[in-house]
Amino acid sequence: MNTLLLTIPSVFAVGMLMTAAHAGDLTVTISDIRDAKGSLMVAVVNSDAAWKSEAAPVAVQKIPAAQGEVKLQFKDLAPGTYAVQVMHDENGNQQLDTNFLGIPVEGYGFSNNPNVMRKAHYDEARFEVGADAASITIRLR
Amino acid sequence: MQRRSFTQGLLLGAIAAAAKPGFLRAEVLAPTGPERFAAGFAREPWLAGWKSFSAESLGPTQAIVEGRWPSGLTGTLYRNGPARFERGAVRYQHWFDGDGLMQAWRFRGGEVTHAGRMIATEKFVHEQKVGRFDVRAAGTTIPDALPIRNNDSMNTANTAVVRLGKRVFALWEGGSAYEIDPDSLTARGPATWRSDLVAAPFSAHPLLERDGSAWNFGSLDFFGTTGLIIWRIGADGALVRTAILESREPGYLHSFAMTDKYLVFTFMPYRMAEDKGSFFERLQFTPDRACRVALVPKDALDAPRWFEAPFAAIYHFADAYEHRGEVVVRAARHADIEEARAPMAAAMRGERGTPSSNTELVSLRLDLARNRARWETHGVGGFEFPTFDARTPGNQPALIFAPASVNPANAPFFNAISSIDTRAGRVSVHHYGADVLAEEHLFVPRPGSTRPGEGWLLGTVLDFGRGRSGVAVLDAMRVKEGPLATAWVPYTMPLGFHGWFAG
Repeated sequence: MNTLLLTIPSVFAVGMLMTAAHAGDLTVTISDIRDAKGSLMVAVVNSDAAWKSEAAPVAVQKIPAAQGEVKLQFKDLAPGTYAVQVMHDENGNQQLDTNFLGIPVEGYGFSNNPNVMRKAHYDEARFEVGADAASITIRLR
Repeated sequence: MQRRSFTQGLLLGAIAAAAKPGFLRAEVLAPTGPERFAAGFAREPWLAGWKSFSAESLGPTQAIVEGRWPSGLTGTLYRNGPARFERGAVRYQHWFDGDGLMQAWRFRGGEVTHAGRMIATEKFVHEQKVGRFDVRAAGTTIPDALPIRNNDSMNTANTAVVRLGKRVFALWEGGSAYEIDPDSLTARGPATWRSDLVAAPFSAHPLLERDGSAWNFGSLDFFGTTGLIIWRIGADGALVRTAILESREPGYLHSFAMTDKYLVFTFMPYRMAEDKGSFFERLQFTPDRACRVALVPKDALDAPRWFEAPFAAIYHFADAYEHRGEVVVRAARHADIEEARAPMAAAMRGERGTPSSNTELVSLRLDLARNRARWETHGVGGFEFPTFDARTPGNQPALIFAPASVNPANAPFFNAISSIDTRAGRVSVHHYGADVLAEEHLFVPRPGSTRPGEGWLLGTVLDFGRGRSGVAVLDAMRVKEGPLATAWVPYTMPLGFHGWFAG
């Protein structure tokens, strides 16, 4: 896993792969969205490999961006450990834009909002979903 | 450039780093309350220079002119510096952390006005909204700071100002230049020179060619790698090109110098402490190692020549010239690295500390034939923020103008303006007074003049004895005679760092 920018697009490239288990719904609130341009791409993963784009994500959603806050739901997640990453594709080019140094210049965020100066590790972003509904808030940076 | 360390290490190592010149304390400084500063200010009125500015804008205010303002001196002196130091119970501990305040002193028809506006950076706008500091700072640890997108998220645009073409920019060190409306001082946002250069560092001391085009650099050390990006901006303010100067090891630099043919970058060796803390809290210079100096031909940016010179702690380079096979670069060298690591740190706490003027004028002499570098001293010290007349021929030293500390002094800061002529071995000084703080003085050529040094010095002062700030104008050739005129406003402003005169 190199940089954030390499990672998130490749997660989306893997495409949607829903698990079949019954269980809790996960509500993801995304806050601090700077503007309504483009779309938000949200990936739910359940392994370090998937976090690193080496395996398929559990689910992905792409929704239009809105300034401020949006909520979205991932239905019927099996109880277990998950992590979520979000990118704000402001210009609709399907990737998290970066500058010549690879520094992100569009919005992004991770579950647990770890305050790190790099892409969060899976261990820093993971959280538990039980049999009941769960909700998390990811602050876009 | 060690890109590998970047991808393996800090995605945004930069961010922690984005920063001001400088030099820091090794230990983490917990923010202390504004009360402590207020108590100090009650005892030490000169601390007005480090008082937090809480308004969003000020003025325009008609200044009262003492003396006769030179009729040929019309235009605007822009001044930038850190100003918002406090929110709630938190006061920044490092001078470089304050949010930028752009001031404009306007001169027209013998009248002078003053106005100021906080620079609406992403950080400032956010913190105004939430009413607290929650973005990390370059020199103070902010508890529970928010995760941020990139280095521009903590850009305070608080260090300098430049006009390129018709555009005015507030400059920082670790991120974008912020474009400022020249009239209203409203921030137009971070400049994007090219799509891949968003948030690229555009540091605070661009240098202008005689044709108005500019050079600048940005340090890549802030981004977990090493080296510089070199910027070339046309006289119209548009990007001409960039280049990468690779460096095999980390090196800190706040400014650079240039001759007609060369750019000269002097890298101060350092290491970062492993412990937590802000960039400047972790930065540790390594004076046992040499400074590396890159001599970069302006017409061959990819062909630097490297020199090594004994360690020197320097924020500000002045003029440079080429003479008898040597490139000579002049600078204000700090003698006490510990003091220099956090300039005026005691003042930031509301205390009287050691003076910030333990400096001396040095020349870095690069012998092109022998590929050797050495420092030469001139026996002149106690100054900072050097300026000069850029019209000086490229084969001789310029007159250097710099705020200086002389006695009597009631504050541990500069209180005089000096003119340093190393060829004649002469220093001329005007002492503003024991109760006055003196800032950078810019050289402004007299319209129609060609002789180097022929013009005015334009410098801001804070008279804490009388509770007023002002701008003084002196004849640059007659510094000792003091101001031709001084324009005063009936309030004090926080001290700034650097300015720009737009005629």
